[in-house]
Amino acid sequence: MNSLPAALTALGVLLILAERPADPASGESREVASAAVAAPVASPGSDRAESLTGVVRVYCQVCHNDALMTGNLSLQAFEVESAPEMAETAERMIRKLRAGMMPPRGFPRPAGDTLAALAEELETRVDDAWVQDPNPGFRTFQRLNRAEYASAVDDLLGLQIDVGEFLPLDTRSANFDNIADVQAPSATLMEGYLRAANYISRVAVGDPDAESNSIRYRLPRTTSQKDRVEGAPFGTRGGVSVVHNFPADGKYVFHIQPYPAVEGEVFGRTFGNEQMEVSVDGERVALVTIDRWMSESEPTGLNVLTDSIYVRAGPRRVTAAFLRRFEGELDDLIRPIDHTLADGQIGIGYGVTTMPHLQRLSVLGPYEVTGVSDTPTRQLIFTCRPTSRDEARPCARDIVSRLASKAYRRPLDDGDIEGLMAFYDQGEGERGFEGGVQRALQAILASPHFLFRMERAPGVTPGTPYAITGADLASRLSFFLWGAPPDQQLIDAAARGELSDASGLLGQARRMLADERGAEGLAQRFGAQWLRLQDLEKIDPDALSYPYFDGTLAEAMHRETELLFANMAIEDRPVSELLTADYTFVNERLARHYGISGVTGPEFRRVRYPDDNRRGILGHGSVLTMTSHADRTSPVLRGKWVLEVLLGTPPPPPPPDVPAFEETEGADDGRFLTVRERMEIHRANPVCMSCHQLIDPVGLALENFDVTGAWRIRDEGNPVDPAGELYDGTLLTGPADLRNALLKRPEVFYRIFTENLMAYGLGRRVEYYDMPTVRRIVGAAADNDYRFSSFVLGVVESPAFRSSLVAPEAVATPAGN
Amino acid sequence: MNFITGKSISRRTMLRSMSGVIGLPLLDAMIPAGRLWSATAGGRAANDTRLVFIEQVHGAAGCNDWGASQNLWAPAAEGKDFDLSPTSLRSLEPFRKYLTIVTDTDSRMADAFSPEEIGGDHFRTTAVFLTQAHPKQTQGSDLHIGTSMDQLYVQRFGQETPIPSLQLTIENVDQAGGCAYGYACAYTDTVSWASPSEPLPMIRDPRAVFQQLFGAGGTPEQRAHRLRTDRSILDWMLDEITSLKRELGPADQHRVSRYIDNIRELEQRIGRIEMQNTSGEEREIPEAPVGVPDDFREHMEVMFDLQLLAFTSDTTRVFSFKLGRDASPRIYPESGSSTPFHAGSHHGGREERILDFAQINTYHVGMLPYFLEKLQATNDGDATLLDKTMIMYGSAMADPNIHNHARCPLFMVGGMNGLLEGEQHVVAPPGTPMANVMLDLLHRLGVTDIESFGNSTGTFAV
Repeated sequence: MNSLPAALTALGVLLILAERPADPASGESREVASAAVAAPVASPGSDRAESLTGVVRVYCQVCHNDALMTGNLSLQAFEVESAPEMAETAERMIRKLRAGMMPPRGFPRPAGDTLAALAEELETRVDDAWVQDPNPGFRTFQRLNRAEYASAVDDLLGLQIDVGEFLPLDTRSANFDNIADVQAPSATLMEGYLRAANYISRVAVGDPDAESNSIRYRLPRTTSQKDRVEGAPFGTRGGVSVVHNFPADGKYVFHIQPYPAVEGEVFGRTFGNEQMEVSVDGERVALVTIDRWMSESEPTGLNVLTDSIYVRAGPRRVTAAFLRRFEGELDDLIRPIDHTLADGQIGIGYGVTTMPHLQRLSVLGPYEVTGVSDTPTRQLIFTCRPTSRDEARPCARDIVSRLASKAYRRPLDDGDIEGLMAFYDQGEGERGFEGGVQRALQAILASPHFLFRMERAPGVTPGTPYAITGADLASRLSFFLWGAPPDQQLIDAAARGELSDASGLLGQARRMLADERGAEGLAQRFGAQWLRLQDLEKIDPDALSYPYFDGTLAEAMHRETELLFANMAIEDRPVSELLTADYTFVNERLARHYGISGVTGPEFRRVRYPDDNRRGILGHGSVLTMTSHADRTSPVLRGKWVLEVLLGTPPPPPPPDVPAFEETEGADDGRFLTVRERMEIHRANPVCMSCHQLIDPVGLALENFDVTGAWRIRDEGNPVDPAGELYDGTLLTGPADLRNALLKRPEVFYRIFTENLMAYGLGRRVEYYDMPTVRRIVGAAADNDYRFSSFVLGVVESPAFRSSLVAPEAVATPAGN
Repeated sequence: MNFITGKSISRRTMLRSMSGVIGLPLLDAMIPAGRLWSATAGGRAANDTRLVFIEQVHGAAGCNDWGASQNLWAPAAEGKDFDLSPTSLRSLEPFRKYLTIVTDTDSRMADAFSPEEIGGDHFRTTAVFLTQAHPKQTQGSDLHIGTSMDQLYVQRFGQETPIPSLQLTIENVDQAGGCAYGYACAYTDTVSWASPSEPLPMIRDPRAVFQQLFGAGGTPEQRAHRLRTDRSILDWMLDEITSLKRELGPADQHRVSRYIDNIRELEQRIGRIEMQNTSGEEREIPEAPVGVPDDFREHMEVMFDLQLLAFTSDTTRVFSFKLGRDASPRIYPESGSSTPFHAGSHHGGREERILDFAQINTYHVGMLPYFLEKLQATNDGDATLLDKTMIMYGSAMADPNIHNHARCPLFMVGGMNGLLEGEQHVVAPPGTPMANVMLDLLHRLGVTDIESFGNSTGTFAV
């Protein structure tokens, strides 16, 4: 029997590596019957606390003491009884205990449910103390980030704008792009807001003085151009289809640039000359020839311009697509792949292997402006039309008040309106009624009331909590649930004071959650960021090993995960279905990738998985691809992703000077090694072993999924071995075991889900003092089968959402921003 | 397009699928010759150095063994008495007093460091030129290289002008062979890096450069009008946000103060541009130039005109300027060679083809006198602009035939405010990193507190 001295010999390793299992040789963890210290579960109050403190002394303090400071933590002075005063430490303990990660494998553990009792006791004490004195936390005010700005403009004016053109990238913190304290002010940002206001107000009102511009739409080289793209007319392939905002009635020129091959020839020129159709709102306006012999060596380069074409103002769908000259697969020596631009060389070799691709469509103009026709946006803006000079200003006042009230997300006062009418007068003097409205709109879009979500604080002293007022709470709610500004119903409810009590607030939240915007908003903004779907963009699987992978497939994977999430919101399913769903959402491309038959066309639809290898997001191509390297799977990245995202227990970063995986031999005795075999060589190093023992089994359980998430039974020609042993000793033989193991401790998953939901909903990182709230929300959700809505409503109802502390000034200046 | 501060749009933005980009107005007027803004920089600081960093890709014919023996790039003699006539720099003879040639420094950070990187030289070299750091091989957004020399200077001294720096290019960047071998396009597209992960996009359209310098709008009236509108909106924003401040908690008030500072800063910038546009007795802002000229020389001249305009108006003092794109198939008929640039650079070591490629090098360097003459003819306080300017011209590739990065071409023209002696040909000891020269220049320029730059091993004084 292994005991403390043996464990202490492993401390050398633990000194270097924080909070990770050591002593790989000793196998699974043992439960040590220790009658002297095991907590009698039934004993009440301080006796119980005292004996649990004894457990800490014996089982935890071995490593976590003042001398060793393993994991940068000492429990030498920790008393279970005083957990509330040491809540930050207590929360760290709770997290590891609940996940079953401490004490690590190879170290003695107390018998029975002692550890659970310790965790529970800590929780109870911290939670009870919190009820006496709830701390709602604090953050500074938020500003509209890219996504919120775009949806606010869409909401106000019915215009889709590429905000990336104006606003700098949002800084992420704690997974999310809306965390207030990292939204650093800068002159560049203000300048971006200013330029956006100028541009958007002109496009919205229509600009008879519009200068000629060139607006470009570029296709990434990884986009498949073999099939028709969404929005394009039938009978076409590839190209681009976008909604373009034409600022005025006038003539426009469409500029088409095909992708070049390596030396500047037209890529895919061996396919012959191609014809490209340009259409506006589905109607062909030009048909141009892509001459196969064009070249960048020529001064004219790879440029094709249409004649100038008269188009009326407003948002219109513009498509430039190749005429489709064949149906079905190209019959050739080499079967064409979807990702035809994977290798630029193939585009000029003989034997038809590929076809020309569009690189860029630019819309030039307007020229010879004749005026501004009515557009949907103009109809939204001009709700009245002055028929005489006297009517102009009152009409403008109506328009400006309505737009500003919506933009400011609250009722206006006279001061607001007068300030804006000064801009109307200025613009009216220069360019008449419409010019005045445009100028006032420009001011509205640049207004701090629009750009910032400031929350009025009563003049109370720092450290005291206060309730968020109605209008501010309405904004909190709708940016949380919809990722968009509040609608009129919510603003009205706020004005009537209905949000100040829980039932009114929850009533609105339920209404908004039932709205489609709730599901999509939470899926695309919250779900996608929590699961880190944006990382999918960083991975470009090796084109030679995975020729069927391209940007179009990656997009479908991204959408699949969003749809599963949205479905959970719409149908109010239990959150655990994210891990267990036996159904998913696929289109033809993705279904083919997963080997699911009977799905045709680009639309997504719900299907059941044919077997139980895939379930939930751990079977999604998105998660599996973004946790791979270009040319091999990475059990480490997959394991790390699960530990961080689904369990909230990130492994420590690797110590310096560890030899990289890539330095292990890829072949042995003439045979290519599997990723698993190479991993094992890599972690034969004891320094690596202690940590990888925690991470790798999780990732290895998913080894049957290749780099792109396709099911495989062989790796480099050898059978895949997904077996392993989890940090708590559970044996894993594949993805199903991993899912079951994760759900064996469901509260861990529910808590991390809630933490993320709170961080996103509040716009701040979740701190240790929020954990009682998290536990309350999870506890309440339990009564409702852990359905999605209970978590969302739980966050909305929490003091952290509805109130705030008055913070001292010093809190708001994070260094380095 | 956050041009005003020179801060970049992220690569993510540039590459995002189908992103609509507000581009460049096509105009119907050209800069009329001779209507350049004459400089009378009353009241401006007299000691301000102007910097132009010019990259030409594909190294030089004179960096090949045989080419060097024929002095196709650098002259034979060291010191003052060098003979430029056989070299590609011969057009600089009238400016030899301003010329500092540094021969035989290396840009080894552009080498392949691992097997996967072999062959990717064209897709690394541009990024290495001004950073002298090794780019991380990635096609994702996790770019990593180093802060470029121009930006190290700008971050210290760039705030004195309305626009800290501008990045210009002659060739369209996202074209054939633009990025391959697992390298993100950003590495091939720009020489300027605000931080190791922040490439600054380069502007190709003279019209867009002009807008950055003097504001948007087709005519002086429109420009003035838009700037005025922006200013009145900023004024109002300031009032609004200041009145809001009272209702907020102390931490929020603190943040509002920072926004107020930002708005004031922006107002000042716009105010300075306005002032420059409207003040001046005989000064006249030229018409904004039209689109992008097809002709290389014409395009170069317009870009130089704009740089001069920026210098004389003191709108910005730092430019980086990329003359070509790696693997470019462009033909320069005026050069006397009819070989495409990339094909010509792979001269196979054959003498007649090396000479053919040297013609292209000579042609490129031959663009400079147009700019140098104008700088020399322009007084700025007590000296000419040429005395105050330092133009660095070079490549992080040496012999393009074999894609190597040792003994790279590099020279400087201009007095750099008396900090460069001029009329010098210095030959570096073998193995000297180009970074050593750059570090020395940075120190001279006042960026004194950095002890290393890129792969520098010390300073190399020129």
